[in-house]
Amino acid sequence: MIEVIDLCKSFGNLQVLNNITETIHEGEKVVVIGPSGSGKSTFLRCLNCMEDPTSGSIIFEGEDLADMKVDINKHRQNIGMVFQQFNLFNNKTVLENITLAPVHLKKMTPEEAKEKGMELLRRVGLEDKADVYPSTLSGGQKQRAAIVRALAMNPKVILFDEPTSALDPEMVGEVLDVMKQLAAEGMTMVVVTHEMGFAREVADRILFMDGGQIAEQGTPEEVFGNPQHPRTKEFLSKVL
Amino acid sequence: MDFAGKFKVFWELFIERGGWERVLKVGLVNTLLIAVLGLLIGIVLGTLIAAVKVMPKYKLLPRILDKICTVYVGFFRGTPLVVQLLITYYVLWPLMGVTITSLNTSIIVFGLNSAAYVSEIMRGGLLSVDGGQMEAGRALGLSYGTTMLKIVIPQAIKNILPTLGNEFIALIKDTSVVSFIAAIDLTKTFTEIGNVRYEYFMPYLAMAVFYIILVFLISCGVKAMERSLRKSDRSH
Ligand SMILES: Nc1ncnc2c1ncn2[C@@H]1O[C@H](COP(=O)(O)OP(=O)(O)OP(=O)(O)O)[C@@H](O)[C@H]1O
Ligand SMILES: [Mg+2]
Repeated sequence: MIEVIDLCKSFGNLQVLNNITETIHEGEKVVVIGPSGSGKSTFLRCLNCMEDPTSGSIIFEGEDLADMKVDINKHRQNIGMVFQQFNLFNNKTVLENITLAPVHLKKMTPEEAKEKGMELLRRVGLEDKADVYPSTLSGGQKQRAAIVRALAMNPKVILFDEPTSALDPEMVGEVLDVMKQLAAEGMTMVVVTHEMGFAREVADRILFMDGGQIAEQGTPEEVFGNPQHPRTKEFLSKVL
Repeated sequence: MDFAGKFKVFWELFIERGGWERVLKVGLVNTLLIAVLGLLIGIVLGTLIAAVKVMPKYKLLPRILDKICTVYVGFFRGTPLVVQLLITYYVLWPLMGVTITSLNTSIIVFGLNSAAYVSEIMRGGLLSVDGGQMEAGRALGLSYGTTMLKIVIPQAIKNILPTLGNEFIALIKDTSVVSFIAAIDLTKTFTEIGNVRYEYFMPYLAMAVFYIILVFLISCGVKAMERSLRKSDRSH
């Protein structure tokens, strides 16, 4: 689904991603873990070119997204993204947040988008919040609404960057539940998270990042049960 | 000084012979017209300039546009408004071979001038909007321009409404110079009343009071708007 080839990313002199080659398969749930500053967010953000790769390729639907000539906006319509800080549009109601892009990008008529938006909101238990502004929502509600906003575009894959890190502990569960439901429905997902329980339960594959590289990867059983790399062992001993 | 006599003359001209009517229907209307339309032009142009200012500057075109905007803002902030009015009306229009009324010229010049100031205000407003808003729009596949127009600019305008209110008050006060190009505003209509008897004491005193009341009323409006914005911030 997404093929990453020799991906490098530097900010000025700081090399953050160091020659990463990796493939995300259709329907796969990939969880990215690793210490702070190891490049997890940068890796994720390169997948939809929110950060432009310094070199290398991101092949998605037969095109190289790293190529500046590619219509990135078209491809981003198929790659959902969910942020740590939710980033709901403050000047739009919850439902408007969801319908804005599909309608503006002519993926749906306003009526279709509304219907679809309401249906998705019902699924995450937010149908009564359709007409309020995001600032009245709790963190957990905001994140569920943000997931719905991404889903409304019918993306082929969704990228999550620490979707529960900004939440009060009692709200983490409600967001993870929505993500588990998505996973069960077969959505392709790439998730950066510190929620090791979620990783263990949902991931098909864990990528452990360290120093801008994927230091180790495998099934949750392999990575959590029998880590090979000393850095993985060290990291896991701290977080588990 | 014969206050009673001066007052009697003014009363006669202003009330009995209907001078107030011209003050309100021509002077006040033109003053408001220049300030309101000037501010509107200023907001549209100023927003465009601000958008260029905050654009990422990797490519050549944004860099060129940025330079043009810098020169533009520098010119309008660096020369007196009266000079801009005179140059436009007596130099630029004849050079271009066009005839534009002094009122319309005033509106245009005030618009171009306030664009320079509004662009700075708006730039602050745009920068005050969290970067995550643009990211979320772009991640959905919306273009930079669409996200700017539908998401970032509306929030920026809300943040700077009080400051724009103050810019409006500044414009109202500045309009008093348009008589330099023979446009008829509030100031000019009071001068006309003075011209009848060459007696300016009362007309100018009344004029000052008129401006104070006008500005006071507008400030009250701006404050009320600020309050209601704060309230709506708290409620959501
Ligand atoms: N826009 C940027 N400009 C400069 N440096 C950056 C930028 N974004 C990230 N970095 C740097 O790149 C490195 C990797 O950052 P990244 O956010 O990808 O790490 P991370 O693994 O997501 O960490 P965390 O767990 O703290 O979110 C860090 O050293 C960071 O300071
Ligand atoms: Mg991160």
